[in-house]
Amino acid sequence: MVDTSTEPKQANELWRRLTATSWIRELYRDGNPAHGLNATVLRALFTYLDDNESVGTTLGICVQSTTALPLLAAARRDESALDPLSVIADAVLAGKQMVGLAATDDTPGSNLTTLATTVTIDDERVILSGRKKWIANAVFASHLLVLARQRAGSAFTNFTWVVVPTDAPGVTVEAVPAPLFAGSGTGHATFRDVTLPLAYLGGPVGRGLIDFASHICVERLASAMWGHAMCARVLRETVDYLRQRGQGPANLWGKEEIRRRIAKCLISTTLLDILLDRCQHDILDRHDSLSASLVKATAADTVEEVLSVTSHLQGARAFIDGGLQTLRAQAGLWSIGGGTYEVMLSTIAAHADHLLGEAS
Amino acid sequence: MLDQGFAELLSTFVPRARQPITDDLRLRDAGLDSLHSIDLLLAIEEKYDIEFPAHLLTDATFETAGSLWSSVAKILASAAAGTRAVDRHHG
Repeated sequence: MVDTSTEPKQANELWRRLTATSWIRELYRDGNPAHGLNATVLRALFTYLDDNESVGTTLGICVQSTTALPLLAAARRDESALDPLSVIADAVLAGKQMVGLAATDDTPGSNLTTLATTVTIDDERVILSGRKKWIANAVFASHLLVLARQRAGSAFTNFTWVVVPTDAPGVTVEAVPAPLFAGSGTGHATFRDVTLPLAYLGGPVGRGLIDFASHICVERLASAMWGHAMCARVLRETVDYLRQRGQGPANLWGKEEIRRRIAKCLISTTLLDILLDRCQHDILDRHDSLSASLVKATAADTVEEVLSVTSHLQGARAFIDGGLQTLRAQAGLWSIGGGTYEVMLSTIAAHADHLLGEAS
Repeated sequence: MLDQGFAELLSTFVPRARQPITDDLRLRDAGLDSLHSIDLLLAIEEKYDIEFPAHLLTDATFETAGSLWSSVAKILASAAAGTRAVDRHHG
């Protein structure tokens, strides 16, 4: 377990501490981020993080552990010191460096096929130009994984990852003032004709969106597991609070109307738990986008419902510094980060025939 | 001529396409958008234990059922040739 004697304030500090324990080694199958993640450890990790760390710090760990590092590790050409991607992945896995995932442009993040960041590739080098926004860990990162287009047009084969050192000429990183996500190191980055050797291509040319689609599924699963842990924790705390408000059978937990409101939250939270159990292996083993969309959309709905009810039931107490009303505002993350709620619904609707066939 | 297993896999991604699926089925017209194309590509890679090389990641590959199967068949043939070469080397 991680020493919690001092509260980490930044995701990079927490990452360093997590990598010093067995958490991160055991999170990855064979200890290798390219081999996929272990469902039991993933769930235990995000339950632990929800219990002990801030939303912003946990966000930074979520993106790095479930998407950025696995993507980087899978892009390694070999495991020698001659491959810069291998060296960077090893340093991140050892807790010595952070890597940010830079997918969203100035263009709408809900449709990555419109992104404008470009990469020009010749026989010796790549040249990257553009701007990326809302990058978790950007201000901590030694490198950014940047999704760029190598061809014009919206075809899904037009995109490629580039691994960019944040101290390379032409790279500017600016912190984003986002107090709700303090500790996440969120920032924007600008790339002006950043020139790098070909070895910094983050995987085969044309597989950028394909690899993103497969890895972001795992982040969506992790965020749903985190959301479930949060709902269960908040419901426990709220029931305890309601039991202490008033005396004997007159306490708030004795009121049937309140019990029924909590019961509805318990139903939603239990359904999310069941869905996670049903979907987690399809996501981790097959990177199934439908399953990932189902759990993420359900988590967004459940988090919103539980925090709306519990923050109301806690009354004025929910408005204290760090209270449930703050958490409720932070929890808007579940409808936006890692793919918007609307994108999840579109994916689910696109699989209507499959889902309805399966149900009949 | 489409491989039967490939046609069955493809039909789950374009369930409203005319059955049986034939080589000339235009995938985009059958409802295969970018999102579905990525899912299909990942499913093909898993089923056949292959990875599409960069030179086959083009619009032309995903134009019709036949062009997609032709690319898969090329990758499989290339992998088989590589395996035979390794077998000869170690034999």
